[in-house]
Amino acid sequence: MSSRGGKQKKGNVTSEQEEEEQPLQAVLVADSFNRRFFPISKDQPRALLPLGNVAMIDYTLEFLTSTGVQETFVFCCWMSNKIKDHLLKSKWCRPTSPNVVHIITSDLYRSLGDVLRDVDAKNLVRNDFILVYGDVVSNIDVSQALQEHRHRRKVDKNISVMTMVFKESSPGHKTRCEEDDVIVAMDSKSKRFSMVTDEFEIRHDLLDCHISICSPQVAELFTDNFDYQTRNDFVRGILVNEEILGNQIHLYVTQDGYGARVSNLQMYDSVSLDMVRRWVYPLTPEANFTDQQGQGCTHSRHNVYRGAEVSLGHGSQMEENVLIGRDTSIGANCHISNSVIGNNCTIGDNVVLDRAHMWNNVHVSSNVEIHQSVVCDGAVVKEAVRLNKQCVLAYNVVIGPNLSLPEGTVVSMHHPEEEEEDDDDEFLSDDQEVGHSKDKTRQKAFNPAEVGPEGKGYIWKASMNDTEDEELAQCLWGLVLNPDPESDSESEASEESQDRTFQLEVLGTLQRGLEENIVCDNLVLEINSLKYAYNITLKEVMQILTRVVLEYPFQQQGTQLTTLQYTGSLLPLLKTWSPVFKNYIKRAQDHLDCLSAVEELFLEQDTHQTAMVKVLMKMYQLEILEEEAILKWFSTGATNDKSRQLRKNQGVMRRMSLWRKESEEDESSEEGECGR
Amino acid sequence: MPGADKETDLTERIEAFLADLKRGGSGTGPLRGSGEMARETTYLLRRITAQARWSSAGDLMEIIRNEGRRMTAAQPSETTVGNMVRRVLKIIREEYARSRGSSEETEQQESLHKLLTAGELSEENFRQHFVHLKANVIEAINELLTELDGTTDNIAMQALEHIHSNEVIMTVGRSRTVEAFLKDAARKRKFHVIVAECAPFCQGHEMATGLSKVGIETTVIADAAIFAVMSRVNKVIIGTQTVLANGGLRAVNGTHSVALAARHHSTPLIICAPMFKLSPQVFTTIFYPFPGSFSYCLPVLREILSKVNVHCPVFDYVPPELITLFISNIGGNAPSYIYRLMSELYHPEDHKL
Repeated sequence: MSSRGGKQKKGNVTSEQEEEEQPLQAVLVADSFNRRFFPISKDQPRALLPLGNVAMIDYTLEFLTSTGVQETFVFCCWMSNKIKDHLLKSKWCRPTSPNVVHIITSDLYRSLGDVLRDVDAKNLVRNDFILVYGDVVSNIDVSQALQEHRHRRKVDKNISVMTMVFKESSPGHKTRCEEDDVIVAMDSKSKRFSMVTDEFEIRHDLLDCHISICSPQVAELFTDNFDYQTRNDFVRGILVNEEILGNQIHLYVTQDGYGARVSNLQMYDSVSLDMVRRWVYPLTPEANFTDQQGQGCTHSRHNVYRGAEVSLGHGSQMEENVLIGRDTSIGANCHISNSVIGNNCTIGDNVVLDRAHMWNNVHVSSNVEIHQSVVCDGAVVKEAVRLNKQCVLAYNVVIGPNLSLPEGTVVSMHHPEEEEEDDDDEFLSDDQEVGHSKDKTRQKAFNPAEVGPEGKGYIWKASMNDTEDEELAQCLWGLVLNPDPESDSESEASEESQDRTFQLEVLGTLQRGLEENIVCDNLVLEINSLKYAYNITLKEVMQILTRVVLEYPFQQQGTQLTTLQYTGSLLPLLKTWSPVFKNYIKRAQDHLDCLSAVEELFLEQDTHQTAMVKVLMKMYQLEILEEEAILKWFSTGATNDKSRQLRKNQGVMRRMSLWRKESEEDESSEEGECGR
Repeated sequence: MPGADKETDLTERIEAFLADLKRGGSGTGPLRGSGEMARETTYLLRRITAQARWSSAGDLMEIIRNEGRRMTAAQPSETTVGNMVRRVLKIIREEYARSRGSSEETEQQESLHKLLTAGELSEENFRQHFVHLKANVIEAINELLTELDGTTDNIAMQALEHIHSNEVIMTVGRSRTVEAFLKDAARKRKFHVIVAECAPFCQGHEMATGLSKVGIETTVIADAAIFAVMSRVNKVIIGTQTVLANGGLRAVNGTHSVALAARHHSTPLIICAPMFKLSPQVFTTIFYPFPGSFSYCLPVLREILSKVNVHCPVFDYVPPELITLFISNIGGNAPSYIYRLMSELYHPEDHKL
């Protein structure tokens, strides 16, 4: 393909034809790799959750098919069996389907990165492909973007590796997910996603549709950089390395069309309503695009949709934007607006539903009020229950009677503690294991104060074990509820934790290097890639490296080392890793930074202060540190009492002069004694 | 096995057609006029006739009826598809009757006496096997296709009878048939066309550029100005999406207001509609708007979109009493005559697929 660039016209034409003959491929990741929809997604994978009574993955597949994708690879991990069953039954796997769907399952996928690495390993894609998640709802026509992408690749000789599709929408728009609010800097002329160019615009009015057009190189890049987990990692990596590797990412901004990813319940709520309000035309509820028997429904004024065999009691009103699935019966004097009700539900008299999302087989008794809540399959809501905003009733929960659930309550049949037990292998657990865990659940009594006298279910609290998206996992509904007093601290915290993880990674790398006898050059390479992965500055890298090396003996042999033992084990290490240091410590400033890191460490470890001299000396001998730098540090660096004291204790100056003499002698005697 | 191969090929084609229908009008699928749609449907039906397995006319009708049901369900607002299915069913009936030797006239004729005596024998009669039936049906469908190909020309040919020199003609939005009609008249006559732009899709703009290219004096007006301008207009000539069984129209949104304005000023309202747009559907008092794609309105409303509901009906219902004349490919007819055309085109048993 790359040879195509500068050929004559004829060659170009044939290659174009070849290109057209290549079927368009897509990679659909039917797993979210997070737990935002827990506890709902404990029983059903997210891609199969119904949106407007149709599984979300069907929207994604329909979107792909309508853009002309002829081959789709569906990657599933969590509850892959269910997804597989669903797809095999759907119209996508009929022999006449224009879009051939291959289902690839593995329990080992833990991130988008794993999936793409597998794509590369199995050599699945031959040409540019579309990458989407299984919960993207869209009617955007990406063929224009695809054309632009191909054109760019032809002109620039494959420099552009990815085109991301964005939709214009003003900040604060309902379908903008508060969590991935993006600010994008792009080159105004070439639509290049950029960090620094001469002329660029910064836009905050874009919505990330999570649709990207990728070239096969993307999969390769994921393989090359094993630390890329998400698309964000990838984008960051590409941008940071733009100068070196010459890869670029472009944007495609569309004004019309609809594209959103259902990343939390807040989004679920708004996408579902948009769907009923026909923003996603032609993917409207009455279109029955899944071609399932009996799924059709009629559409009438004010966006009221009714499936087959719906019965509506006397005096009941369906105000606007209501979708009612087949065989559902609704009692008298009900008030329903902006709601989606699934198949086979029964709803009693005098029920008020506003922005309620009910799935299949839900029973609601009389005098119930539900506001902006999700009620999953098989749930039962007894008499006179009131669900306030943003409640979730997971599968088969029973609530009531006579109860008012406070805002944001999540009720599930899974006990929160059971969750903690099988927390570690959450990704591995499939149906079998879920059954298993049910057995081992200690039978706990339901709390009538929480779920009502006849209720069944536990109030769900997200487990705190999650390190990274702890805060996120807690709120199914997204961050909107508590807007941002803590966002600053949060980001700081995450930065700090990033440093910390980087430090651990460096430690791991060095350890491995020692065990497996890896050449220092390779170690440097690995540390460099870590640096990019965690977005660490060079200065920090050096400081952390120094710290890691100096702490290494403690790590290995515990903190109860005597100073002698410590220096004994440290000095050889310094010698082995001196090339690594030399790689990072080049300018005068680097020397000072390194010294301050050393100082900092020994301030913490005051029992080993005497070792510092030896360390410094060794570093000097190994030519890691320069003499002037040490002297300069000594004369200027004293910032506080403690460090001043440290210097005094050591009498570094005295020693320094001593070494100087020694080293001069060394030089004259042609490195007579190296190890001293 | 070539037979099986043929069949999968056929089902594939049908599925592709259905998918196209479903996506029709979204911008992702190919946007087509109803004429093209009618032709494609007929091609597909011809293919079904040729390739599907059937031994008697009854089987074939059953197959076509089933596929027809699926096709109409895929895109209910596209009535031409259903119409063509009915036309083909009618063709099969006729060919069957001819093969049996009974004249189609006798079968066609309906009387109260016949209705009372005939009973349930209609479907029973189609069980007989005829060797040449297939060829005959395909031949008849080919004739239908040539008829379809000629519709626009046939309508345009009548233009000179209706448009006179120095007249002011008003039209709404864009209709291929009306465009051809006016262009044909422009060869001989000089006249002035006023085009209502038909927001929010503004197909009127396209129409106006098309007309002005052949040298017709054209003015584009906003939809709100229709009534004000009507007093100057001599004739209103519009197209339609469907002609309903009662002689009413289902036409692009805004047509009703044009028709009312025309009635108020006693301006003749002429509808250019080929016969394949004639549908046995009837709409009476309750009529739902047919909402289509809203995404076209998006750019305008992007700012306030989160708090606003947009209703954008695509079609209007125009009652028959507002219409003066239909011009179809077989000549001009009054709305009151539509029922008669209907019974000539479709068999009463096929009205409901």
